[in-house]
Amino acid sequence: MKYYRPVSEPELLDLLGTLDQSNYTLLAGGTDLMPRFESGMELPLHLVDLKGIDCFSGINDRGDNIEIGSLTTIDALRKSDLIHQSFQALWQATDQFAATQIRNRATIGGNICNASPAGDTLPPLYAYQAQVRIIGPAGERQVPIADFISGPGKTALNPSEILFSVILPKAAGFSTFYKLGLRQAMAVSVINFAVVAVVDREKKVFNKLTIAAGSVAPTVKYLNKLAGALQNNGNGIDGIIDLVDQDISPIDDIRATAAYRRKALKNILAFTLKELVNKR
Amino acid sequence: MLYIEDIEYFDLVVIVNGCEVCRRVPTHQRLLDFLRDDLRLTGTKEVCGEGECGACTVILNGETVNSCLILAVEAHGSEIMTIEGLSHGQNLTDLQQAFIEKHSVQCGYCIPGMVLSAEQLEHEQAQPDREIIKQGLAGNICRCTGYHKIIDAVEQKGDR
Repeated sequence: MKYYRPVSEPELLDLLGTLDQSNYTLLAGGTDLMPRFESGMELPLHLVDLKGIDCFSGINDRGDNIEIGSLTTIDALRKSDLIHQSFQALWQATDQFAATQIRNRATIGGNICNASPAGDTLPPLYAYQAQVRIIGPAGERQVPIADFISGPGKTALNPSEILFSVILPKAAGFSTFYKLGLRQAMAVSVINFAVVAVVDREKKVFNKLTIAAGSVAPTVKYLNKLAGALQNNGNGIDGIIDLVDQDISPIDDIRATAAYRRKALKNILAFTLKELVNKR
Repeated sequence: MLYIEDIEYFDLVVIVNGCEVCRRVPTHQRLLDFLRDDLRLTGTKEVCGEGECGACTVILNGETVNSCLILAVEAHGSEIMTIEGLSHGQNLTDLQQAFIEKHSVQCGYCIPGMVLSAEQLEHEQAQPDREIIKQGLAGNICRCTGYHKIIDAVEQKGDR
């Protein structure tokens, strides 16, 4: 295995242009890649470490939105005042993410490109309608995160392309994240979800509501049926919570059964939404 | 750009416990194996090998990391502290002393990682309460003690 650590974006793109696309692997934090090597995955011929490129890290305020470099660590997000104040759901996801040693290495770009159905930063990014910025030999493009992730471990990245950053519109409204794991730390989520809501406190209705849930389908899913039914509405949440079923397709696995996932998602989501709409 | 010619080795330069170390390492070697096998710093333990347990915790450029999840080459140019670098000879740190006084050690296998995580926690926060201590040590698993005496030690050290 040859190891490369380019120090600039042009150097990286030049390098990727010269490598056989089937033979290289990109390395960010390594917290998902290294256990795969450990469990017997064949080493790539070329390993390209992205951590030498400074412009891939950092949280930048761009006025109407913020741009997070793909190599920004989970811990850097967790320690960011901007994230804490304006993107509460994402902040909560980073706070509940694995444990310190992993948060110090794992990156938001890695969490996105790993495209796990259970990735903890993903429901908040979906709920904020995040866009991902991709660079490559043919130039730059921007796509909604929901179009970028196409299945477990699958993304819309073309050969020689790199995830450069993720862009979050400054959310109008309150956001919150919930994670159900089998223990508090180091848990792969049994279910997780994020809610972005604008609530009319007087009328106790949702003026705007976006819900994204993870670990209940091959990719994170928007719960649009339920969110639609709660538009300008806030009553009878228990009566319509079963609308969730129309947007999800959970499976049985070692962590939980599909039936448990459905039940847990509906119960916790109903509780969360009622708290949100009734909060003073 | 750092680039290794056809051979799958790399001339690594790192600072380990304050001393510069130059070694030729295979590109696929984990930092954990470099420390244990090449440098004989066997205080850093391996248990799960997949980043779940924290026994292999070291401090890399001021942050705790799992050395089983990092290639030695990734640490090129970095500063590493292992448990061997914490005390000065027989002079234990206050936290190490607290682990002894509170009988926080049973089999001892998790303790190097546990102590480094606790040192780092106290570095960031002078007097952590029990809840913060639990969160700070959440990446370190102990199968003997039930954690209470470990938390006692970190709490006592914070009180000094």
